[in-house]
Order: sequence, then C-alpha cells, then structure tokens
Amino acid sequence: MMNWNSFVYFAIPSVMAWSIGAGMAYKLHKERMAILWTIIGLVLFSVFMAGLWISLERPPLRTMGETRLWYSFFLPVAGLLTYSRWRYNWILSFSTLMAVVFICINLFTPEIHNKALMPALQSPWFAPHVIVYMFAYALLGAAAIIACWFLLPANRRKQDAGIMSLTDNLVYVGTAFITIGMLFGALWAKEAWGHYWSWDPKETWAAATWMGYLVYIHFRLYHKSSSHSALGVLLISFLLLQICWLGVNYLPSVQGTSIHVYN
Amino acid sequence: MWKQPWGYAEGWAICAGLFFTGLVLQWHFGKVDVDIYRYPVNILIGITWLILLVSLSFIGKKRKIVRWFSGIKASLTAMISLLVMVIVMGLTRQVSPGADLSSSGGISRLGFMQMTVSWPFLLLFFYFISVLGLVTLRRLSSFRKKDIGFACNHVGLFIALTAAILGSGDLERMRMTVQADQVEWRAINLQNELVEMPLAIELHSFTIDEYPPKLLIVDNFTGKPQPENYPQNIVAEDIPMHGRIMDWEFSLIEYLPMAACYLQQDTTRFVEFHSVGATCALYVKAENKKENIRREGWVSCGNHLFPYISLPLTATESLIMPEREPRKYTSEITVYTQNGEIHAATIDVNKPFTVNGWKIYQVSYDESMGKWSTISVFELVKDPWMFLVYTGIVLMLLGALFLFSTAPVKKEK
Repeated sequence: MMNWNSFVYFAIPSVMAWSIGAGMAYKLHKERMAILWTIIGLVLFSVFMAGLWISLERPPLRTMGETRLWYSFFLPVAGLLTYSRWRYNWILSFSTLMAVVFICINLFTPEIHNKALMPALQSPWFAPHVIVYMFAYALLGAAAIIACWFLLPANRRKQDAGIMSLTDNLVYVGTAFITIGMLFGALWAKEAWGHYWSWDPKETWAAATWMGYLVYIHFRLYHKSSSHSALGVLLISFLLLQICWLGVNYLPSVQGTSIHVYN
Repeated sequence: MWKQPWGYAEGWAICAGLFFTGLVLQWHFGKVDVDIYRYPVNILIGITWLILLVSLSFIGKKRKIVRWFSGIKASLTAMISLLVMVIVMGLTRQVSPGADLSSSGGISRLGFMQMTVSWPFLLLFFYFISVLGLVTLRRLSSFRKKDIGFACNHVGLFIALTAAILGSGDLERMRMTVQADQVEWRAINLQNELVEMPLAIELHSFTIDEYPPKLLIVDNFTGKPQPENYPQNIVAEDIPMHGRIMDWEFSLIEYLPMAACYLQQDTTRFVEFHSVGATCALYVKAENKKENIRREGWVSCGNHLFPYISLPLTATESLIMPEREPRKYTSEITVYTQNGEIHAATIDVNKPFTVNGWKIYQVSYDESMGKWSTISVFELVKDPWMFLVYTGIVLMLLGALFLFSTAPVKKEK
C-alpha cells in the first residue's frame, strides 16, 4: 500500500533525476539528456501519485498536501515544456528548485491518510478542475519568481525582450488554464450546488486572480516598453492567486462562509 | 483632462465617478432590488442596451470619444476598477443578497457586505460590460481570420456576463423539505416566503451511505488525535483485522453495523439491533507490548439514541470511533408535474434531476437524526437564461485554446 510514509523514497530519487536534467541543460549538445532525465524524475514521481490514488481509492486532490503534490509534479512539467520549446538553459534548475520547496513542505508537514471523499467532491469534474488549476498555478508561479528576480534592483538592467516574452508565454498559457479551470468549476457548480457562480469566497478570489492576469495581458499588448509595471502587475496577480489557493482558509472575512474549505 | 485625446486620467475619473454615484444611490435607496428586472423588463433592458451599443459602435468610427470607450484605456481602467471591487468583496464578510441590512448602520449601509446587489458594484460592472461590448463590436466590424481567438474570448465573456446579470432577475431557487412517504408541493424562496410550486415531490426514502468506521487514539485532555504531529487511524474494512497505532496493537474482533447499546452496572454491551435508530459498534482488543498493558471492550460513535463509547487505554489516552463520514446521500422520489407527468427519480449530490426546466438537487436532511433522518431537503432551481450563459462559457473555453496559439512564440537566446 502506497501512503505518505513512502513519499520520501520517491521524492528523493525524483529530485535527483530532475537535478541531473537541470545540470545537463547547461551543457552544450546535451538537450536530449536534460529532457530525458527530467522525464525519468516525472515518471518516478507519478508512480507515487498513482499509487496514492489507488490506495486512497479516490483522486489525491482533496487536502492541501495532496494539491501540493500535484503542484510539485507540474512545476517540472512546466519547466520541461518551456525548455523543450524555447531552450532557456536555467528554466529546469528553476522549476526543480521550486518543486523541491513544495516537496519539503509535504515531507515536514505530513497529513492524515484519509480515504473519505465527501459527496460534493464525487464528480467527474473534480479531477480536471483541480489538475488544470494546479498546472496553471505552476506556470504562473514560475512567471512570478522570474518577475521577482528581475524586479530586484541589482537585476533591473538585465531585463530584456527575451525575458518579457518568456513571462508573456507563461502567462498566456497559465491564463488559458485558469480560464478552463474556472469554467469547469462553473459547470461543476451548476451540477453540485445549483448555480454556476455563487460568489463563494473562493470564487471571488478566483475571479480577482483571473482579472489580474487579464490586466497583465492587456497592459502588455499596448505598453511593451514599461516592463517594470508589467512585472509589478504579475506579482500582484500572483498574490491574488495565493490568497485564492491558500489564503481563503485563513481570511477572517471567510471564516465559516466558504463551501470550498475541505480541511 | 477631458480634452481630446482622452487618456488614462479620464478613465479613472469615470470609474471614480461611477463609484461615488453608486455610493450616493446606495446611501439613499439601499441595495438594488433584483426583482425589478424580471421578465420582460430584463429582455427590454437587454435589447435597448444592445441597440445602443451597436449604434454607438457605428457612430464610433467617426467620433473620438466613442473610439476611446472601445479602446485600451477605457478597458484597462474599467477592468482594474472592477478588480478592486472584487478584492474589497473578498476582504469583506458577505451576507446573502436577500438578507435585510437596512436597519444596521455604518459600513453595511454602503453595501459592501452585499456587494453583488450594491449600486457601486453594479454600476462599475455595467460600465465594464459596456466597454467590453464596444471593444468587441469595434474589432468584429473589421473581422479578419486571426481575430477568431479574440472573438471567442470577448464575445463569450460578453454573452456569459450579460446573460448572468440579466438572468439573475428570473433565477428561481427554492428549498423544499419533504417528509418520508408524503407529497410536498410548497417550497421556501430566497425571501423566505412559502410558495406553491408547479411540481410536487413524493419522498419514498432517504438514505446515507457511510464510509467504514475508523478508530483513532486521542489525548483525554486535549481531545487531539495521536501522534499529535502525524495522526494515524485504522479503517475497519474487513473484520476481523489487525492494526497498529504507535505502540498499540489492535485486534478488531467483531463488528456490528446495526447495534444497540445497553449499559449494565459496570459493563457496556452492544447487541445486534436491526431497526430504526441503530448505531454501529466494534469490539476491540488492544495490546501495548512495550508497557505490557492489555485492554478490551466495545467502541462506538453513538448517535441520537445511543451513547458514544470509547475504550480507555491509559490514564491519558483513549481509543475512539469518530462520527462516520458520509459517502453518499440518496433520495428516492417521484415527481408529479402540473400537466400530469409522473417521473420516478433517484437524486444524489452531484446528480440533480431535471424536469420541465427545473433542476432538483439533494441539499440537506435532518442532521440531528443522521442516517435515520425521515426528511430530505431539496433545492429546486430554474434559470431560463442558462442556455445563453453556457453558450458564453463554451465560447470562452474555445477562446482559451486560442490563447495557447496566440502566445508570442519568439525564441530568444
């Protein structure tokens, strides 16, 4: 039976494989090896996810720890896609590092192995809704860190069109995914709760997040040269995303009113 | 400001103007009454507004002001202003739009606690979709093939938002509480009024299917599951079985899914009880080899009839069975409509039943009775604008696919 106790035995080899892949990306003519090692890490990691899924007899998407698991999986996926399309040599180290952060959180704050899945979550919409969101969060998280880095006073000069086109790409694809996640959520809500949009606190913050990224996209279309402001918008949007994902569980205005809080 | 060409300053000024106008209206008239734009008023508003937008977009080819309203500066300022309202909504505790706050003073009088029916929010929302409409019409008037992604996203959002806001006047949501073996045709609407429905529901049975019982060790003083930083539990799936938590070995000997408890002077016993009100109980033997302690006895989560029974392990720890978690709520019903149709249906959470434009949802039951509840609570929803909203959603889903391809593909080294 696969449970959280066995996580460490999959996490460490996966991180090692991703690190090797990330190292290869800096070497000339080793692009294929970089991609291959990243895939090996992803396969190992997904074996654990599949095992957990089977042993829980439900998709591991309910608790915060389980969503972090998907997040740590999708970060290298996003890194790999970006690398194979645009060949930024640093992107794999970066996605690996971010994945490690989330893996560590899961290793040090373990969770109860709970099979129960409340009836509201038993729906064919559940897995696509959350998985699509987690993938979007990974892409937008990557964009946010890049924005942070290039907003540091020491790095401001290094900004160039290449970086901005990378953040644009990440945001376009990330926004496409949060749009899909949100609309799947609306279709699901109609089946489960009777209405497609109820301004539940999670929905309110999801709308705010979505609008934040739309502001970025529209701003970039017409203000190509003000990259600092654009990166600022990106950071604010990511802050909204964080409130939506994690903050909703703690906001005083939300206590006891959200039907989106599942331990 | 206000000299051509307009820039961002004018955009912010318009939004601020709408916001403060909204505040004044809110202060004097209170929240917006959704009932005023019921059919056919909402259709008339919608058509008038569409005609206005279309004629404006025709004039706009020559007028600078109208062009400004369909440009980036109006879009961004409208978008950000609405975003700020949504953030305020997220930070303020919201109460149901139907609730009456007119007597409470202060911040609630500004409408922030019922944001979706407040004048400032609705004015900015209306301004936002008007700008969205103008932007969309302007681009569509010179439509080229590469605009298809733009069209899906903007037209989709426009349709979905317009239909959602105009349709909210026609949205009907009712709660109907039905007793087992009875027929009910009255329901409570959002304003807490009892209304007669065009359909009736007969409840044959309400059942809760539960997950197997679990056992936990808790601290007797704090009530927290142990070990504290990594609580563990045993799921009683196939009895007899063995399980382990910390240094304790447990043998689950006997399981009574339908049980009654009777208490004697110093013992507690459970016997099979196949009747309404039964609880469940597990007979457990516990052994801690390290400290050489043995315990045995019944453990039960209890219910509204029978007590909750734990097994004390040490002076500080006990073995308990927490309340069982529901797997499924199911109501077996028959629906009768006014035109004489009769439908048998099974309703679960996530599986509503649709009849004559109404969707019937399982929402609640008598929680104090748990699985022995003899009532079931349904929500009945009718939203005649649903089709339009879904059209918008489908267009936006297509538009999202186009976002991948419109992402700038430049490879920079």
